[in-house]
Amino acid sequence: MNLRLVYLHRNLTRNVRRSLLTCAAVGLPIMIYVLSMSVVHGVDKFLDNSAKQLRIVVTQKTSIVNPLPEGHRKKIEALDESKQRLTSVCGVQWIGGQRENDPTPLSVMAADADSFVSTMPEYELTQDEIDAWQKDRQAIIIGSGPAGQLGWKIGDRVSIVPTLPPYRAMEFHVISTAPKAPDNQSIFFRKDYLNEELKKDGFPEGQVSFFFVKCATKKDLDEFREKIDAAFAGSLDETRSLDEKTFMNEFIAQQFDLPKNLAILSGLTVFVAIMAAMNTMSMNFRDRIAEMATLKSLGFSGGFAFSLIQTESLLLCSLGGLVGAIVPFVVFTYTPARDFQVPLIQTLVVEWVTCMKALGIAVFIGLVAGVWPSWMAMRMHVVRALRNLE
Amino acid sequence: MALPLSYNWRNLFVRKLSTSLTFSVVSIIVAVLSILLSFAAGINDSLRSTGNPANIIVLRTGATAESTSLIKPDEANRVLQAPGIAQDDKGRTLASQELCAQTTLPRKDGRGIANVCVRGVDEIAFTIHKEVRLIEGRLFNVGQMEVIVGKAAQERYKHLALGEIVPMGRSGDRAYKVVGVFEADGSAVESEIWGPRTSIMDSFRRTFLSSVIVQVKDAGLAREAIDYLQGPAVRLKAKSETEYYEDLTSKTREIVVLTSVLITLMGIGAVFAVANTMYAAVDSRRREIAMLRTIGFVRRSIITAFVLESLLICMSACVCGLIIAALVSSMISKQDFLSDTTWTVLAYDLKMTPWTIGTALALAAAVGVIGGLAPAVRASRTKVIEALRKA
Repeated sequence: MNLRLVYLHRNLTRNVRRSLLTCAAVGLPIMIYVLSMSVVHGVDKFLDNSAKQLRIVVTQKTSIVNPLPEGHRKKIEALDESKQRLTSVCGVQWIGGQRENDPTPLSVMAADADSFVSTMPEYELTQDEIDAWQKDRQAIIIGSGPAGQLGWKIGDRVSIVPTLPPYRAMEFHVISTAPKAPDNQSIFFRKDYLNEELKKDGFPEGQVSFFFVKCATKKDLDEFREKIDAAFAGSLDETRSLDEKTFMNEFIAQQFDLPKNLAILSGLTVFVAIMAAMNTMSMNFRDRIAEMATLKSLGFSGGFAFSLIQTESLLLCSLGGLVGAIVPFVVFTYTPARDFQVPLIQTLVVEWVTCMKALGIAVFIGLVAGVWPSWMAMRMHVVRALRNLE
Repeated sequence: MALPLSYNWRNLFVRKLSTSLTFSVVSIIVAVLSILLSFAAGINDSLRSTGNPANIIVLRTGATAESTSLIKPDEANRVLQAPGIAQDDKGRTLASQELCAQTTLPRKDGRGIANVCVRGVDEIAFTIHKEVRLIEGRLFNVGQMEVIVGKAAQERYKHLALGEIVPMGRSGDRAYKVVGVFEADGSAVESEIWGPRTSIMDSFRRTFLSSVIVQVKDAGLAREAIDYLQGPAVRLKAKSETEYYEDLTSKTREIVVLTSVLITLMGIGAVFAVANTMYAAVDSRRREIAMLRTIGFVRRSIITAFVLESLLICMSACVCGLIIAALVSSMISKQDFLSDTTWTVLAYDLKMTPWTIGTALALAAAVGVIGGLAPAVRASRTKVIEALRKA
């Protein structure tokens, strides 16, 4: 055993440059893997929260862009008068929005003031924030993403220009930056304020982009999803109801399907790493044919030769993988880069689970890359190998 | 004196496994790069080729796209007063009032649904949007429940074949018949459905317009007209059509940024892989190199030879990668995405442009040179006597 360790150490340090290059050639793809999968997991986590909240999203049947009348809320609520199964219904109107003289798009939505808090409990607003939301008509909750980017804090008076009617600057008072919300991009304000402003300019008011309907159990969700659509069937404004996760997924899939494409990409990079590592191991083996043959002729078993090359490959790749996994973890956990925003979803979080998985993949790469040379070493015909050395 | 190229070429086949593994690494990276860039190029192309610099698109101030813009009919009439607006030979003012509605259609490939733009237009629109040409069927009749569909939309979404009935309108209960198919130089409007404005407005229960497109006599007059339209007389937002569509390409910038980050990382990885192979090549040929030096090849020739060898692997891998990319691109060519500005789908085809190919070649060349240089220098420093004696 001791001999083996010494030998392994000598082998790894025999051609330091080659070992380092291999580590790097494995480490970089692992780093890409970790980054891509972190984005994918970010999306998954976002979707999981959507699923956990047991909400139905009700949109207009022909297109999500077409509005529904506000009055639908009463009819949805009437499906469960007891409020035991459909606990809360909140109408939301998307108005886009940007700051004056700044084209960065914001995702601003007007929500029913009375039911926002109970429909979106994951925002975990404090009692003070809830009071402010209910008292102040111009209250606004800024997602922590845009709040950080724009430097908006609780108590600030801010101005946003909607990209939909009334198309002119509206004044708001920031009452929360929703640090607990899984969706950190959205901005919510009160719909009664929007309606008033719309009325001033003669635009149609009382429209809703989508209703969020909070259900008590998964069973209620499945049942009422169908009941809601049935209730409006044949009416002027038919609805299309989906559970929130499906709704969000449909949306993401239509916008480049980032998660799917990143998953494909990270698969490819792992493949590239396998080939790079395989290259090194086969080069090492070729360089050491004579040695292997000598070892075997001295009486060391084929298994010894096999394990020697296999462990070397494993060690090299794990080392590369370790660096490739640790660097993004440290960078996105302990440096200012941790505030990095991924378009669509949220702050990039590199979880240690992802890094462990990446490390596992690096070990796998080491295994695969070593198989062919170590197999050759085990099966090598000693006499022929020694004879072939010129 | 330089070494003959065949020397390098033959050497590549001495270490078949090593060469082919390095070759695959570079091919894959080139293929990924080219495919990602083809996405960006395809989107850019469909948006950039849209719009005529003499056309001005008028929207509600504050709206960022036609689909979020509401213009009242009286405001639309004020637009007609803008200076420099052209007239056609029948004396009609070249101003097209348009409505942009949306309808959801299932995709042909079964991957869910798509939010497609339904544009209500009058006859004058076809004079202003000259690029729109019927390639099948006929034009819709004004006042009828008939539509013509863009070629890209027809290829991707269901219910749009000639003669088919497509349900539309606010409640999705109005049956429109597809009577024609149009082309528009591969531009963004090819992802749309066009129908008579009055019918579309009625079916979608809309009283507001989305945009007014006016054509000025000469692109040089556009500035003046835009200033007038944005000024106190009209107070609407005006942009040249080319500029409007260019602004929608912001999405591609995201792809380009993502691509560059990933490709840089992958490229550095490839440099390491290539360097590794080349070092091995140099080490195993020390005697050979010493021999070359002995018979009179100078150091520079040796460096050139080894860099060339590395370049040979990378450039041939690049060609292979480009071929893979071309195959994959043609397989997944028909794409579209939901713009977060217009909230409608924009169709595009993956495009391998000369720029894509150039970038791929440059990347492969860079990987080849950077990866080959250090080993080549090492080769040139081989101590002749020592290397020969070792034998």
